[in-house]
Amino acid sequence: MPPDFSSLVHWILFLPLGAALFIALFLRRAGTLAAGLSTGVAFAIAALALRLLTVTSADTLWHVELAKLGGISLGFGYLIDANARLMLFVVSFVAAWIHLFSVGYMQDDDARGRFFGGLSIFMFSILGIVVADNLLMTFVFWELVGFSSYMLIAHYFDKDDAAEASKKAFIVNRLGDLGFILGIAFCLAHHGTLNFAELGALKPVAGWPWLLGALLMCGFIGKSAQFPLHVWLTDAMAGPTPVSALIHAATMVAAGVYFMARISFLMTDEVLGFIAISGAGMAALAGLCALAQTDIKKSLAYSTLAHLGIMGCAIGLHRPDLAVLHMAMHAFFKATLFLGAGSVIHGCHHEQDMLKMGGLARKMPVTAATFIAATLSNCAVPFLAGWYSKDAIIEAAHHHNLYLFALLALAALATCLYSARMVRLVFFGPANSAAAEHAHESPWTMTTPLVVLGLVFSVAAGFAAPALIPASALAQVAAPLHEMAFHATAPATLVGGLALILGAFAFRYYGRAAGVDSLHADLPRVYSLLEFRWMDTFYGWVVASVQRRVAEFIAFLDLLLINGVAVRWLGAGIPAVIGYLAGRTLHRGQTRLYALSLVAGTLLLAWYFLAR
Amino acid sequence: MESTTLAHHLLLAGLLFAVGLTGVLLRRNLLVVTMCLELMLAASTLAMVAFSRFNHKMDGAIFVFFVITVAAAEVAVGLALIVALYRRRGTIQSDALNTLRD
Repeated sequence: MPPDFSSLVHWILFLPLGAALFIALFLRRAGTLAAGLSTGVAFAIAALALRLLTVTSADTLWHVELAKLGGISLGFGYLIDANARLMLFVVSFVAAWIHLFSVGYMQDDDARGRFFGGLSIFMFSILGIVVADNLLMTFVFWELVGFSSYMLIAHYFDKDDAAEASKKAFIVNRLGDLGFILGIAFCLAHHGTLNFAELGALKPVAGWPWLLGALLMCGFIGKSAQFPLHVWLTDAMAGPTPVSALIHAATMVAAGVYFMARISFLMTDEVLGFIAISGAGMAALAGLCALAQTDIKKSLAYSTLAHLGIMGCAIGLHRPDLAVLHMAMHAFFKATLFLGAGSVIHGCHHEQDMLKMGGLARKMPVTAATFIAATLSNCAVPFLAGWYSKDAIIEAAHHHNLYLFALLALAALATCLYSARMVRLVFFGPANSAAAEHAHESPWTMTTPLVVLGLVFSVAAGFAAPALIPASALAQVAAPLHEMAFHATAPATLVGGLALILGAFAFRYYGRAAGVDSLHADLPRVYSLLEFRWMDTFYGWVVASVQRRVAEFIAFLDLLLINGVAVRWLGAGIPAVIGYLAGRTLHRGQTRLYALSLVAGTLLLAWYFLAR
Repeated sequence: MESTTLAHHLLLAGLLFAVGLTGVLLRRNLLVVTMCLELMLAASTLAMVAFSRFNHKMDGAIFVFFVITVAAAEVAVGLALIVALYRRRGTIQSDALNTLRD
C-alpha cells in the first residue's frame, strides 16, 4: 500500500485559510504582522507542495461525504494526480515569491492587512480548485476564487476604475459560471455523480453528448478570459501589480485551463474544435492588440490573453498535457514580467505609461535583467521555459490543422513584436519623463523574487526541471519535448526563428524616436484599429440598446400584468370589497367578540381535523 | 383508594383551561382577562407535566421551567401595559377601548 499523503494536502489547503482567518480577526490593523504571517504561510505551503511533488508519483485519493441528498452524494475530497501535483507546486511556489514581492511593493499601503488576508484567502481558494475531486467542490472554490479576485482588484476601491473593474470581472465571470452550474445540474441528472474518477469511467450521454462539455466549458471561458468573455482581464489590471501577477497572469486564469485538462474526457470533438479555434484566434488578436497599449500592465494583460488562447488551443488539440505544461511555464515568466512591471512602476513613482519611461536598464539593472530574461522566455527563445511548451503546441497545431497553425504562428510573431516594443520603450533609449529620470532600483524584497522567478525559473524551468524532479509528471511530459525540440526543420522551429528575427527588427523600429510609438506615428489607422476595444463597445451596445429595450418591455409587462391586473385588481381589489363589507358587520371593537371568534375558529378546525 | 391516573390530570387541566377561557370570553376587566389567560397557560403547563410524569421522561418537566420563566416575563409586560393604559385612558374596561374600530 502506498503511503498516504492526504494529511500533507490538508496542511497545504488549510494553512492559508487559517492565515486568512487570523488576519481577518486579529491583524486588520497590523499590516506588518499580517504581511509576515501571510508570506510565511505561502512559503510553508510551497515547501509542502515541493515535498509532495518530489516524494511521490502515486496518486493521492481522499474523500469524505458531507451530505447525501436523494441518492446524490455531495462530498469533499482530493484527487492528486500528476497534473495536480505540478499545479500545486507551480501555484504555491510562484505565489510564495509574489507574497515576498508584495511585502516591498505594498510597503506604504494603509490596508496591508486586508491585502494580505485577501492573498491568503485566494491561496486557499485556488488550491481548493487544484485538489478538488468533484465538480461541486470545484465550483465552490471556483466562486471563492472569483470572490477573492473581486476583493483584490478592488483593493484601491476609492478609485473609480478599480471599483468598476472589480464589478466587471465579477459579472463577466458570473456569465460563464451560469453555464458551469447548469453543467453540474446536467451532469447530476444524467450521470448521478459529480466525482471526476467516477465520471471518467462512464460512457458519454446519448442524445447530446457535447452538451455537458459545452456547459462546463462556459466556466472555463469566463475564468480563463477566453473569447468572448475576455473583456474583464485587461480592466482587472486596476488592482495592485502583485495581484495582477498572481491572479490575473500566473494562477487563477490558468485554473480554467487546469480544470479543462482535468475534465478533458468529458469534451467531445465539437467542443474541442470550438475551443481550439477561439483560443488560436484570440491568441493572434490579443497579441496584436498588445502592440497598441501604452500602459505597461495592459500590454502585459493582452499578452496573458494571447497565452491563455494558446493554452485553450492546446486543450482543443487533444493535448491537455501540453496546455498544463504551458500554463506552468507561463506562470513563471509571466509572473516575472508582471513583477518586473511592478518594480518599474514602483521605481518610477507609479508611472504606468511606457512612453514616459525609457532608459531604465541603467537605473534598475536587476529588474531590467530579469525582465529581459522573462521576455526572451515569453518569445520562446530556444531552450528557455516558454520555448518548450509553446513550440510544442505550435507543432501539435501543425500536425492537426493548418489554419490553427497559421493563427498560432501569427500569435508567436505578435509575441515577439510586442515584447521587443516593451523592452525597447521601457529599458532603453533616453528617459522620457522626470519620473523615469529619477527612477531607483527596488528593495531586496522585490528583486529577490524577480531573480528567483525570472533568472532561475523563466530561463531554466524547461531545461532543468526534468533533471531536478525525476519522478514527476514534468519529466514524463518534458522528456519527449527534449527530443522533439532538436528537429530544427520542424515548422514550429522555423516559425519561432522567423518571429525572433522579426522581433529583433521591431526592437530597432521602436528605437527610432523617443517618447512616441513608432507604429502610431507611421500607421495611425492600424494602431487605432488595434487599440479600439471592439468587444467592450459591442457589449456596451448590447446592454444599452438590446438588453435595455428588453428590460423596459418586461418592466412594462410587469407594470401591466403583475402590478396592474394581479396585484391592484385581483390581489388588492377583491379583498378591499370583501373587507369593506365584512368590516361593517364584524369589526365592532369588542375584544370579547374577537376572542370568541378565535375560539370558535379553533374549535371548527379541531372538529374538521378530528372528524376526518 | 385508586391512585390518580393520566386521565385525572388531564381532566383537571381541561377544567382549568375551560375556566380560564370562560373568563377571557366573559369578563371585561383587562386585569381579570390577563389572569384568566395565565390560568389557561397554567392548565396547558399542567398537562405537559402530567404527560412528562406518565411517560417517564423529564423533557416536559424541564420544558415547563422555561414556560414559567417566559410566562413571568410576559405577565410583567402585560401588567405594565395595563397600568400604562389606565394612566392614559382612565379605564381598563375592554368595551371602552374601541377607538381603533373606526
